[in-house]
Amino acid sequence: MSGASGRSGRIRWGVASLALFVGLPVGLPVGSVHATLASSSKVIAIGAENQYANVIAQIGGRDVRVTAIMSNPATDPHTYEASPQVAQKIANAALVVQNGAGYDTFMRTIEAASPNARRKVIVVRRLLHRSGAIANPHLWYAPSTMPVVAAKIAQDLAALDPSHRRVFERNLARFDRSLSPWKAAIAALRRRFPHAPVATTEPVADDMLQAAGIDDKTPFAFQSDVMNGVDPSPQDLATEQNLLKDHKVRALVYNQQVTDTVTQSLLAIARQHHIPVVGVYETMPTPGYDYQTWMTAEVRALINALAHGTSAPTL
Amino acid sequence: MTGFFQSDPVRVALAAGAVTAVVSGVVGVFVVIRGQSFAGHALGDLGTLGGSGAFLANVNPLWGFVGVGAVVAGAMELFGVQRRRGRDVATGVVLGAALGLSALLLYFDTTTSTTTGATITVLFGSLFAASPQAVPEMAGLGAAGVLGVVVVFRPLLLSSVSPDLASARGVPVRAVALGFLVLVGVTVSLTSMVVGTILSPALLIGPAATALRLTRRPGAAMAGAAVIGLIATWAGIVLSYASDHWPPAHRGWPISFFVVAIVFVTYLGVELVARRAR
Repeated sequence: MSGASGRSGRIRWGVASLALFVGLPVGLPVGSVHATLASSSKVIAIGAENQYANVIAQIGGRDVRVTAIMSNPATDPHTYEASPQVAQKIANAALVVQNGAGYDTFMRTIEAASPNARRKVIVVRRLLHRSGAIANPHLWYAPSTMPVVAAKIAQDLAALDPSHRRVFERNLARFDRSLSPWKAAIAALRRRFPHAPVATTEPVADDMLQAAGIDDKTPFAFQSDVMNGVDPSPQDLATEQNLLKDHKVRALVYNQQVTDTVTQSLLAIARQHHIPVVGVYETMPTPGYDYQTWMTAEVRALINALAHGTSAPTL
Repeated sequence: MTGFFQSDPVRVALAAGAVTAVVSGVVGVFVVIRGQSFAGHALGDLGTLGGSGAFLANVNPLWGFVGVGAVVAGAMELFGVQRRRGRDVATGVVLGAALGLSALLLYFDTTTSTTTGATITVLFGSLFAASPQAVPEMAGLGAAGVLGVVVVFRPLLLSSVSPDLASARGVPVRAVALGFLVLVGVTVSLTSMVVGTILSPALLIGPAATALRLTRRPGAAMAGAAVIGLIATWAGIVLSYASDHWPPAHRGWPISFFVVAIVFVTYLGVELVARRAR
């Protein structure tokens, strides 16, 4: 008798703890979304990369609370793995901006795991109507990208918080104006150094180089191999080394966030042959920069390298 | 194949591969004679710990391989690798613990530092990406390894074939065993540079086992193993270079695959011929 009741008691406990276990991850986020929306009028927003978070903050101003998921310039975003805390934040957000193009796949996984019909998700790749395989996912380096993203952010924020529509529109106009130093710098680069040959370690800043009419001499297969963390072929590696040794390029555009024995050996060769090195970043370097000033600083660093042979390994 | 010998990555690979093939031939023969293939395998895999740690500390992975190889070889010897009973258990336990730690370090490598390619480099080797400075370092280690075998050749051979007879003759069997295991640790650190930690035992044991099928004389077997390893490594480098536009990705296949495949096919061929001859 006592044995039987003891067993059924144990089973009941088991069911209860199972319910608790299943209920926790599903129930909590939804509940807290309503709690945060009710307790403050601020829109909770997420930028998967801190450059997108920065633009959300510029458009949203005081009416939006923004969190960036990837913001450490010392790590490689391609290999980022999300923690449960990050998943919780994403589940709670009303607006999410993510790059897409395989750059932040974990965002899609987490969003699918915590469905929320009210959440607005901006996938930059889709917003730009870029379909098919994208070889270079660093979309924010193209000067045409961020104005489109910012306009969509303003539109979605206005839908989430209609009372501040005017504020968002004013901020959007200010953001668009603030891009002019960057565009002017790109125009200056294009004018002063037409088709200047450079080498790169990764396709990070390729869209910006292309906009400035710079001639990227590095084989794309090499850039893609370094980006994907596999060994470049010895043929491509020799080509890249010879670009520097034979002074066929005037600068080495170097991804600060991906280093290995190959990129380090390229840095050494560049230094030995007095080829200036310009460091570029995958995520916005902090503190001290916003998206526009970061982009402008990178173009100016390249102009300095081409004009005076000055290295700028870090911003 | 244009520009093969003009290519700096190729020259580094050929030199590093030659050093490694010779040392692993010499040391590998004793590994096979002593029946320590699993210990050699474990030491190779354990290099993962050193390699991943070296990436975190931002030093040449070679020094990580060497440091951990030597330390763990000592630990395995202390835990009783010298006894036939319990040898596999001691090796397996140390191996499991160290691979767990490697998993943590590789996670740190890819999530907190900028070393994206660490996992591939450590596990499967990146010979074309090895820095030219690594060659003299590897040559020095290799020379020390071969010299070590030459110095303890007679007592090592005696204690490998008959430990009882060796200790009766006054050979410090335990010390010789420890010293040899450290040598194996250093050797697999070299092979790890060529084919990665996962595949390093293949280069250590494969050519030696093949050579011992051809001759029973240890000296001749060492020379044979060195030649087989050298051919496999250099042919692997040539094939990897030539595979530049192979499917599916129209990029080169890794060296480590070719080297290990050649070693295996050679062993298989010699084994079949030897059986037919019997």
